[in-house]
Amino acid sequence: MRALKLQGRTVAMIAIIVPLVLVFAYVAMRSGPLAPVKVTVVRAQEGTVSPALFGIGTVEARHTHRIGPTLAGRVKRVDVHVGDRVRAGQLIGEMDAVDLSDRVRAQEATLKRAQAGIREAEARQAFAQAQARRYDKLSALQATSEELAITRRQEREIAEAGLIAAREALAGAQSERAALVAQLDNLKLVAPVDGVVTLREAEPGTTVVAGQAVVELIDPASLWINLRLDQVNAGGLASDLSADIVLRSRSAETLPGRVLRVEPKADAVTEELLAKVVFEHPPEPIPPIGELAEVTVALPLVQAAVVIPNAALRREAGEVGVWQVKEGRLQFAPLKLGATDLDGRVQVREGLTEGDEIVLYSERALSRDSRIDVVPSLPGAER
Amino acid sequence: MSIHAGRGIRIEGLVKRYGHGDTAVDALKGVNMHVAPGEVVGLIGPSGSGKSTLLKCLGAVIDPTAGRMTLGDESIFDNGWKVRDLRALRRDKIGFVFQAPYLIPFLNVTDNVALLPMLAGIPNAAARAQALALLTALDIQHRAEAMPSQLSGGEQQRVAIARGLVNRPPVILADEPTAPLDSARAMAVVRILNDMASQFQTAIIVVTHDEKIIPTFKRIYHIRDGVTHEEAGEGRSLSA
Amino acid sequence: MISLASRDILHGWGKFVFTGIGLGLLIGVTLVMAGVYRGMVDDGKALLDNSGADLWVVQRDTLGPYAESSSVHDDTYRGLLGLRGVERAANITYLTMQVRKGTQDVRAMVVGITAGQPGQVPGWPPYLVAGRQITRGHYEAVADIATGFRIGDRLSIRRNQYTVVGLTRRMVSSSGDPMVFIPLKDAQEAQFLKDNDAIWQSRRRTEANPALNRPGVPGLLDAVLASQSTNPYVNAVLVTLEPGYAPDEVADSIRRWQRLTVYTRAQMEDILVGKLIATSARQIGMFLVILAVVSAAIVAFIIYTLTMDKIREIAVLKLIGTRNRTIAGMILQQAVALGLIGFVVGKIAATFSAPFFPKYVLLVPADTIAGFAAVMIICVLASLVSIRLALRVDPAEAIGG
Repeated sequence: MRALKLQGRTVAMIAIIVPLVLVFAYVAMRSGPLAPVKVTVVRAQEGTVSPALFGIGTVEARHTHRIGPTLAGRVKRVDVHVGDRVRAGQLIGEMDAVDLSDRVRAQEATLKRAQAGIREAEARQAFAQAQARRYDKLSALQATSEELAITRRQEREIAEAGLIAAREALAGAQSERAALVAQLDNLKLVAPVDGVVTLREAEPGTTVVAGQAVVELIDPASLWINLRLDQVNAGGLASDLSADIVLRSRSAETLPGRVLRVEPKADAVTEELLAKVVFEHPPEPIPPIGELAEVTVALPLVQAAVVIPNAALRREAGEVGVWQVKEGRLQFAPLKLGATDLDGRVQVREGLTEGDEIVLYSERALSRDSRIDVVPSLPGAER
Repeated sequence: MSIHAGRGIRIEGLVKRYGHGDTAVDALKGVNMHVAPGEVVGLIGPSGSGKSTLLKCLGAVIDPTAGRMTLGDESIFDNGWKVRDLRALRRDKIGFVFQAPYLIPFLNVTDNVALLPMLAGIPNAAARAQALALLTALDIQHRAEAMPSQLSGGEQQRVAIARGLVNRPPVILADEPTAPLDSARAMAVVRILNDMASQFQTAIIVVTHDEKIIPTFKRIYHIRDGVTHEEAGEGRSLSA
Repeated sequence: MISLASRDILHGWGKFVFTGIGLGLLIGVTLVMAGVYRGMVDDGKALLDNSGADLWVVQRDTLGPYAESSSVHDDTYRGLLGLRGVERAANITYLTMQVRKGTQDVRAMVVGITAGQPGQVPGWPPYLVAGRQITRGHYEAVADIATGFRIGDRLSIRRNQYTVVGLTRRMVSSSGDPMVFIPLKDAQEAQFLKDNDAIWQSRRRTEANPALNRPGVPGLLDAVLASQSTNPYVNAVLVTLEPGYAPDEVADSIRRWQRLTVYTRAQMEDILVGKLIATSARQIGMFLVILAVVSAAIVAFIIYTLTMDKIREIAVLKLIGTRNRTIAGMILQQAVALGLIGFVVGKIAATFSAPFFPKYVLLVPADTIAGFAAVMIICVLASLVSIRLALRVDPAEAIGG
């Protein structure tokens, strides 16, 4: 009787208190620092590592032709615009001659004057020669004094010298004119190679100094990528390795390329190695100079090695290694590592054998005494 | 009326004064009473006559100013309490039955009754057996496991009487025990009180102004203006 | 003797349990509050643990890199590597910013880590929960799981797009922002590079400066502009020590010879816990006090009400000779029982709600034990008022009139 009477209340109390106490016990045991650490494990496997290097670079032209005048001057005309294709020898612009043509004309007058001078000297020389010849005959016949005959001979020599001087004056005048004409020709800006105009830096009327470029040309066939690689991640970089190039503006497209050369000088400030990567086929349209490119350089495959994911690597007491699971307990295994690839696979040289079970992911940092709870995937991390 | 010294309860010249000096009021002005074991006496009087004050003095919950009280052979008050532990006195020597039963609502009937022996240090099982015996005597053992709220008024009053009796006190003070009951149930309660008085040789003082039950007392004390007057009751038969 | 308290509780268990649950929620909030403080401290310690450093080398006379900004030249580490006792030294940058993914953005601390192999360079995330560590020198990221990012997501940090290749956990800044790890070179750029408009404006300003744009010196302007867009600075150098060297000694020699400020782990902890979160800690302390007072008031009020409801019964109990001790015990037991229910409910509520808080809430067993003691003390103190009331009840009240 008594038991029955109490039952309703007691059952209700038990129904509340017992679950409460159970939940409390669960809470006390399974949360906080006393709880085991959830981990996922993976087995070290025999596999291949396909190492690769990853770096970024900018598109550059191997040869950049900066075309400008050799003397300071004013731009007269520029015939090409940025993006125009030009052929070798094509006139692409001209500097203003300013007074150069007038100076040529003056030089021509000088030339004519020199020619007139020659004619005068020739006349003098002919007359002096005739006189000298006549006096020589007279002197032989004793028809005149020796004195006079010597004078006529001297006059002939002077006249000959005068002729030589006049001829030299003509040659000088001719060279000077030729120099001025050459200068006139130099005012023409001519493309030295086939190429594409990339810059048009001065417009007609602009005064430019000697050495300053008016037009910049590149040869599209000579485009390459100036690749920069972190020094620590550049092991194995060499010429003739194949490379995949992804241009920023065409991120969906992978262009085949090749390492042309590794620069003998590295960048000491940025701690990067420099290399030049060329396109196997010149890309069309031409990528803008200076565009960023991501380059993946494939290195030779590493065959048949024990391979683990790099997420498993930990550092413990100054050594790199992994947590090995042995009979439910943790043991740290220091490793010697080999090649790595961009997918996070790491070759193990020493420290693990195939089939060893290691901790891949963990909820917290682990220690030798951590209690672990092996789960297929960690909460929140599953996709 | 023969009075056996050393038995029942005897009160002589009991005075209770409230306040001091000029404002002092004497609620009781020299009360004399005696109730023998097994006797049920009525104590009646109008409101403000000092009835409640007398009851509280007898129940040892207020201090009388002067006089003497003797319980059995023991003088418990002689111008001052003679016992140190009034609570133990109440628990062991005096039973209470109230106008309303005042059962403890969170204890069942048995435990309500058994609580007093338990408080006195009797083991639970023995106390419960004692209570159950008494409930059986009062013919309410079938409600032993019920909670007070599940009982009728008459049943509650019987449980209250059982609680008053459970420690076998020499004296039971009943304060209007029949007030909430109809006449048949009131008579039943009075019969029970009489039966118990004779069965356990307990002196029972019933404070009441219930006209239905006054005629049943053999002896009645009237209290008026703080003074008691003893008179013979009708002593009507209860078997009717 | 039967237990009056338990009988009373059983009699009115519904009211009692629900009151207990209500109190429990309040205690839960208090525990969470303490957990928030512990979480903040732990965030700071996690930051230090995860960096894996023994020493932090920062700009002279700064509290960097976490509490103040600091910048040192990115070739400083070469000098440090030459010092006795220094095993490894690695540059690191920290930048708190909004990291965008599509249209949404997340507040995160972007950490630039020196290129290398996991485990070989300090500053790398020491463990992951998914994916892999960074292998490319650019445009890859490992994000804390609290950012909500998933593997394969594309993030925007400044002008570059990064692919999330790995997820980690509990990698947070001292203010609890989740971390996003990216290669150092990218991070330096992100820290320095302004938006394109700002770069254009800066270029135009330089071009307008006659001193830097001289007509007679072709190429000068280009050189100046190029020098303006490089950032040879990092925020700190993380240093690990060879076994057997005391951090303080090595720190002293760096201070002396490299003229830089160095903090050891203990000093760093002091900065993070003592300075960075001091105000927040006091704030939480205030809240704890208030919550404790409120809890005490509620327990006191509930026990008082329960006692008031029983005043007649207490009078009867006293009249029939119940000892004060028994009555006080009854009230005290009820208060303690209420506290127990409240504590259990509170602990459960706190544990299950903790993961849903945006900031880390760390429930420490020591706090739980202290909380339990506090709850018990509060309940005992709160019941004193009611006990006093109950003891003052006049047994005469049980007798009418």
